[in-house]
Amino acid sequence: MRIESEKQLRDYRKKLIEADKKLVKKIMVCHGPGCLASGAEKISAEFEKQLKKKRIKGVSIESVKKTGCHSFCEKSPLVAIEPAQVLYTRVQIRDVAEIIEKSVKGDDVIERLVYHDPKTDEAIEKYPDIPFYKHQTRIALRNLGKINACDIDDYIRVGGYDAAVKAVLHMTPDEVIDEVKKANLRGRGGGGFPAGRKWESCRKIEADVRYVVCNGDEGDPGAFMDRAIMEGDPHTVLEGMIIAAYAIGAKDGYIYVREEYPLAVINLQKAIEQAEAIGLLGDNIMGTSFSLRIHINRGAGAFVCGESSALMMSVAGHVGEPRAKYIRSVQKGLYDQPTVLNNVETYSNVPMIISNGADWFTSIGAPKNSGTKAFSLVGKVRHTGLIEVPMGTTLRTIIYDIGGGIQKDRQFKAVQTGGPSGGCLAEQHLDLSVDFDTLTAHGSMMGSGGMIVMDERTCMVDVAKYFLSFLVSESCGKCIPCREGLYQLYKLAIAISEGRGKEEDIARMERLSDHVVVGSLCGLGKSGPNPFLSTVANFRDEYLAHIVDHKCSAGVCKELIKFEVITEKCDGCMACISACAVNAITGKKKQPHIINQELCTKCGACVAACNRDAIAVF
Amino acid sequence: MVSLTINGKVVRAEEGEYLLAVIRRMGIDVPALCQHEAVEPYGGCRLCMVEITKDSWDGWKKYVTSCLYPVEQDLIVTTHSDKVNDLRRGILDLFLARNPETPLIQKLAADYGLTRTSYEAIPEPNDCILCSICTRVCDAMGFSAISMVNRGHGKEVAPPLHQAPPDCVGCLACAQACPTNYITYEDVGNRRTIWNKQFELLVCDKTGRPTITKEFADYLIKNREIPEDYFRIDDASHREELADKMGRITRWSVTEEAK
Amino acid sequence: MNYRFVVKPELCIGCRTCELACSFAHARNGKQGRTRIFALDGGFKDLFVPVTCLQCEDAACAKSCLVNAITRNPETGAMDLDHEKCVRCMACVAACPFGCSLIDEQHELVVKCDLCGGDPACAKFCPTKALEYKPVTVTALRPAI
Repeated sequence: MRIESEKQLRDYRKKLIEADKKLVKKIMVCHGPGCLASGAEKISAEFEKQLKKKRIKGVSIESVKKTGCHSFCEKSPLVAIEPAQVLYTRVQIRDVAEIIEKSVKGDDVIERLVYHDPKTDEAIEKYPDIPFYKHQTRIALRNLGKINACDIDDYIRVGGYDAAVKAVLHMTPDEVIDEVKKANLRGRGGGGFPAGRKWESCRKIEADVRYVVCNGDEGDPGAFMDRAIMEGDPHTVLEGMIIAAYAIGAKDGYIYVREEYPLAVINLQKAIEQAEAIGLLGDNIMGTSFSLRIHINRGAGAFVCGESSALMMSVAGHVGEPRAKYIRSVQKGLYDQPTVLNNVETYSNVPMIISNGADWFTSIGAPKNSGTKAFSLVGKVRHTGLIEVPMGTTLRTIIYDIGGGIQKDRQFKAVQTGGPSGGCLAEQHLDLSVDFDTLTAHGSMMGSGGMIVMDERTCMVDVAKYFLSFLVSESCGKCIPCREGLYQLYKLAIAISEGRGKEEDIARMERLSDHVVVGSLCGLGKSGPNPFLSTVANFRDEYLAHIVDHKCSAGVCKELIKFEVITEKCDGCMACISACAVNAITGKKKQPHIINQELCTKCGACVAACNRDAIAVF
Repeated sequence: MVSLTINGKVVRAEEGEYLLAVIRRMGIDVPALCQHEAVEPYGGCRLCMVEITKDSWDGWKKYVTSCLYPVEQDLIVTTHSDKVNDLRRGILDLFLARNPETPLIQKLAADYGLTRTSYEAIPEPNDCILCSICTRVCDAMGFSAISMVNRGHGKEVAPPLHQAPPDCVGCLACAQACPTNYITYEDVGNRRTIWNKQFELLVCDKTGRPTITKEFADYLIKNREIPEDYFRIDDASHREELADKMGRITRWSVTEEAK
Repeated sequence: MNYRFVVKPELCIGCRTCELACSFAHARNGKQGRTRIFALDGGFKDLFVPVTCLQCEDAACAKSCLVNAITRNPETGAMDLDHEKCVRCMACVAACPFGCSLIDEQHELVVKCDLCGGDPACAKFCPTKALEYKPVTVTALRPAI
């Protein structure tokens, strides 16, 4: 069957909904990266195996849906029972039989497996009531956890490809661009450039060939929003690209996915085949003269290839190095042709804008920052996972309401947004609204949406050092300020963390940072010193403590700390002795132990092993 | 044609020209290490940075590499402002940390008042400034035998897998274009070695002097339709042949005329 | 007007003033350049022939240049070599069938006759008019090179 009219799509959807109604219960097993790592595949297989044996009315193997990321990764593996909206967390294979018996066959809820509020220990059965989900608004991630990722029928059933049909059959390209412009959809990859304006300028350039490119090279440490979308809802990316290609007049599209996301590649490939089979992709889409072929390019893992011009170089088969963008890629991009490049998340917003209209989209979010933004909330926060919030939500809401606060109720210290080239925001910034302009104004950036929360046990010099080391090894090396400048910055940061720093080093580093910021060729270099600049701006005292007092208050920088047993607290359980790999701890049972400083490698294993907090870091 | 102001002087330039070309034409000395006329501008050394602004920009200034920035109407360019000079000094400081013993860098740094780097020089420095001229020239020649490999601080110029490059024809363009003579080769008799690859040089039938490599000549014969026998003898012998031919014609015509 | 070198070898006395003139005309940084013209033995007693680039129609030097550094100058008609573009691969030196692309070892350049921008010094200084640079018509009997 090929879909060639709106009516055809509607009729097909009706049929799918009818068929779906026959399934009384659905078991949504999360197949996101976190859950797969904790054995989700075995759980869904177990469900299928057991359901095959049992005969339950209205429930079959079809009921087991292998969905995209449910996003509450901290509690993985996750299983949701629909339509009851019950979410079971940390499900084990041995729980499967019980779930089938009680929740699939019956309508009971297994209290043991649902989410419990960490403070009140109150069980929350339905996931929309869980604070983690309650404060979220989902547009880009709307289908994650709701549909089977590898099934176009599931996508169409929930309204998929409506927008593509509407755009291609009932709108002119200019109308599509106008709608996206009016919605003020800003690039979700971090730059925040209005997508509509980008499309418009690309369309205006005279050329025979134009390209749409999707940036799925998500390289920020700790970020997995785009991965979740590509793996869990690939059709929404395709739909966004179809609309963009129609708007600018492109015949070829490229999705650049990093090699580290094999499942994303497989699912996207399947999605392309499925869409081509029903005439939504390929030649003469929906019977019109509009054709689009989407190709998948796999990146080999260079962080810099997430930069637009480097990405296009890589797609074209060259070394992935950025070029100066005095001539922009909408003019001369991939293969020197006008090219629109947007991020995965940007494309997944497009169908919703076309379906629901620009006014609906601008009603969500903050002024000049309409819509939502997905973040991967990670670090020392209690509930890590994938979240999507309206722009303008405060950091406090994200960290304390959605994230449930800091682990072990420790003190919040900083939150790193925007990936390695973003910056660290401190306590005083917690009430800042999270949007493109505010974050940039305070020395960080939106970035693609990584959000790393740090507590009092995180050393900011060490954080700067870590991100600098990341950037040093990921710099492409084309221009000297980034290649040598970041390297020297990293060397100076090491010196400070090892207590070899001098007071004037901070000023030197600031001057060097300025040279790197002004002098570098691409965005990676220009934002490269941010980890240093934002930490030194907010935590200058900590730098000075390292340099002047040779102290690391967080107890991280090995050269500046020592571990000691607090004799009063130690009950002589010998747990630390067996944990120590270098036999630096001596002592007898029920007598306070002693750490030999000469042997101690400051690995921290003893601190972790001690149940009485009797080992302190000085 | 567009007109723009460079260091206070109004100049005209062709549309699509790059700023550096216009600046150089005016005789202004702006350093550039990764610039070579045979290849597209690269923007790697960042030394050709200049300050640009426009009256309509409300005092906002931008720092751009002039080798890559196309000329624009009413652009106001300053090639040696304090900020630009400071930037160049900062970059040369970084260059000195990487190439402390390279005469080209030392001289340029001295021009900007630097004698030694303020940073820790890298262990085992060499003369490669990673300008990529060699690899770009090799690409422009159509061979692409060598490339930049690795990234960031570990970047270097190398043939594939650090082995004798199969696509190299031994033309020496990379070595000749290298601004710091970092790329070395060896010509002994009619044998040439570059990038650990051995080549046999063609020798002149008459003088026995070596000319270019057999591989390079084969490439030119095949792809550029140069007759094979052009490569048979060297340039001096070619000239002698020409003189000889012209001598014969002259003698013949002079005798004919006398008749 | 079609300017060409008109060579009358029977007038050439082998004084090599042309070579000297060329060398000085192409001096760089205060150092003489390599001459692009040669007064060579014509194969017979006392017969000398001034030999220089013929600015060929279908020039092997330009064809062999992989970076397009050799192009026809529309004003002078000379095949001009752009020293800034040249990567000194020596392809033209090897390919020229008349041996008129040369290596200037002192300046580390590949050089060839550029007609001195339209007014060749060699012809100007030839004492015997064995070498002239002048407009030629098709009826010229002399071999025009």
